[in-house]
Amino acid sequence: MIALHPEDAGYPAALRDLRPAPDPLWIDGDPAVLERPCVAVVGTRRMTPYGERVAREVAAALARSGAVIVSGLAQGIDCAAHRSALAAGGSSVAVLGEGITSFLANARGRRRILAMELRAGGALVSPYAPTVPAQGWMFVKRNALIAALAGAVVVAEAPIGSGALITAADAARLGRPLFAVPGPLGARASEGTNALIASGAARTCLGPDDVARAVGLTPRSAAPMTDPLLDALASGPLDLDTLARRLGLERAVLRPRLVTLVLSGAIVDQGDGRFARGAG
Amino acid sequence: MGAVARTLSCALWGLETALVTVEVDVANGLPHFAIVGLPDTAVQEARERVRAAIRNAGFEFPLRRVTVNLAPAERRKEGTGFDLPIALAILRATGQLTVDPDGLCLGELALDGALRPVRGAMPRVRRALSSGIARAYVPLGNAGEAAALGAETIAFRSLRDAVAHFEGVTRQVPVDVPPPAQVPPPIADLRDIVGQETPKRALEIAAAGAHNLLLVGPPGTGKTLLARALPSILPPLDPDEAVEASAVHSVAGLIDPDRPLLVARPFRAPHHTASHLALVGGGTPPRPGEVSLAHAGALFLDEFAEYQPQVLDTLREPLEEGSITISRAGGAATYPARFVLVAAMNPCPCGHAGDTGTECTCLPDAIERYRGRISGPVLDRIDLRVHVPRVAYEELRDERTREPSAVVRERVCAARERMRARGRRTNAELSIAEVKRHCRLEDSAEALLGDAMRLRRLSARGYHRVLRVARTAADLDRSERITGDHLATALLLRAAA
Repeated sequence: MIALHPEDAGYPAALRDLRPAPDPLWIDGDPAVLERPCVAVVGTRRMTPYGERVAREVAAALARSGAVIVSGLAQGIDCAAHRSALAAGGSSVAVLGEGITSFLANARGRRRILAMELRAGGALVSPYAPTVPAQGWMFVKRNALIAALAGAVVVAEAPIGSGALITAADAARLGRPLFAVPGPLGARASEGTNALIASGAARTCLGPDDVARAVGLTPRSAAPMTDPLLDALASGPLDLDTLARRLGLERAVLRPRLVTLVLSGAIVDQGDGRFARGAG
Repeated sequence: MGAVARTLSCALWGLETALVTVEVDVANGLPHFAIVGLPDTAVQEARERVRAAIRNAGFEFPLRRVTVNLAPAERRKEGTGFDLPIALAILRATGQLTVDPDGLCLGELALDGALRPVRGAMPRVRRALSSGIARAYVPLGNAGEAAALGAETIAFRSLRDAVAHFEGVTRQVPVDVPPPAQVPPPIADLRDIVGQETPKRALEIAAAGAHNLLLVGPPGTGKTLLARALPSILPPLDPDEAVEASAVHSVAGLIDPDRPLLVARPFRAPHHTASHLALVGGGTPPRPGEVSLAHAGALFLDEFAEYQPQVLDTLREPLEEGSITISRAGGAATYPARFVLVAAMNPCPCGHAGDTGTECTCLPDAIERYRGRISGPVLDRIDLRVHVPRVAYEELRDERTREPSAVVRERVCAARERMRARGRRTNAELSIAEVKRHCRLEDSAEALLGDAMRLRRLSARGYHRVLRVARTAADLDRSERITGDHLATALLLRAAA
């Protein structure tokens, strides 16, 4: 773990936009990734299957285009974005709202594993000294840091009152291009993002390509998905019977196809008998 | 003047049995009554019961030095079944009985000389029969168990009855073999379950191959109904399975005296507050738990994630070995525990993750913690994991006839027939060598399996378990070769694709 001061070489230039800039900035991992174009993908902890899919697909496509995916390693959208970026072979940076050692000491389960993977495939970053434990008020500073680090911010899914909207406000204040993913009308989980679009504060995110261009990268999206099987999974994971019914296919025909797609990574087996679209 | 008399009885540890010779020596000396040969507390207390029973039955308890030895003397003897043989041997040694009882004697004495039934009569009578002792003297309450096994069973109500029989005053006739019990009507029929084609197929595969099954779905989607339909498609009990399963129930004291032999496969559904003692057995002396009572049948654990994690982990040994050994300071007991595990759980604490219509209110970490309550080693032994979704209204209204359990059961029985031809009762019992020999894959299946292995979706254990399930899917289709669809079914049901 290293501590960088604003006057040090290698201190992320973008952070000097913050008043005051974090001093020092604690980094566990590869500090060089912070020099590359960064895109923040943030959102609610209580994500829906739709939000999860969009976060995964956007993060994976941007990572393939060469962007470093920045997020907050919170449950939900944050973790989905980190995980998907790493799975696509890209790099990802997590900005923590507490000391890095403190976080690693308290994290459990899959989030702990993800933190370890981020140290190897990117970095953990914190404005707080390693052993400082988390307090509720500390995350506001974390959110501003995410917005400052990123060349563009994507809010994948956020209800009214979500912490992701604080990051969005920070992005607007710092002049970072802000994108919000539109959601279905009436869905609580998308009320915040829809409001961002309606008020004109954010651009409508119609896919990863606009975001890539906004940070000066050439979009390298995967080939558009033409398989009707993948289409059927667009609004969320389904079980085999429902899939067969939607597609009008015999189960005996569907099963081997499904296995092939799962093995190719285009579809993820959720482990509870349902199948979700992979990040493609 | 001393006198020695002998009667024959049987000791029981778990389902393990040994014939015991009850020797009684009555000698001159100060009045004294001792039992030697490692008796436990219940056997020690036989002294008080026997003394009172002999007196109250109208006989005389010798005011001399009475020594009872239970031979072989080096293993601990448990339970109250030795009361009758001890009392008969004392009466024989004191000349109040003039004939040697010539068969297995078993029974607990009441203080007034009446005979009470004992637990575990069935395995003990079975032991006697296999040692060439065809006659059993038992309390009336155990008569059915002994007679059902084919023993020449003489049943007594009291000690006085017994003496009268041996002396030829009032001879008892051997008890008739009890009529077989009626197969109880199944609780649920697959015909009554709408939709749920994949869960139903998983249930069929579980029934045919004895693979373990986990049903995951929101509350009210029919997980419990599906599980309760399992008995309706399980094949009938083989005679030797029936004897073994009934023996376990006999040890647990759960036998219907008039219909002692089980006819239907047991279906045990303990509540999720069950302790590990209740689940796998224990206590002193060790009693069989639910896993053993489910032997040859099915164990249904509803609300699987609500069980104490330590309790679930005790399932690992029975799931792997098909038996459970309970070791206590006083000795170890081994009970059979070969069952199909059917577990059901909600997908998350609120129950609505993945539900249509109702929004899930759980945070991702909470869902992960909830699923993490089932430990990896236990989950690894569950080959079939299937989602039970909410059924759409249009489907509920669908009045087309659905396949009844009886038809599915025929397929299951035919599949079991094919398994038996390979020398195993079920595919779940196939050894690794047998998996290699009997699981011939078509090219398309070979390709899928190769991909799954290359992508490290399967452990070595998972590889063989997937092949066993694919074998069962093929057996249900009466196919000798495993097709791509059979293998895909197994991979998808294991969530290993």
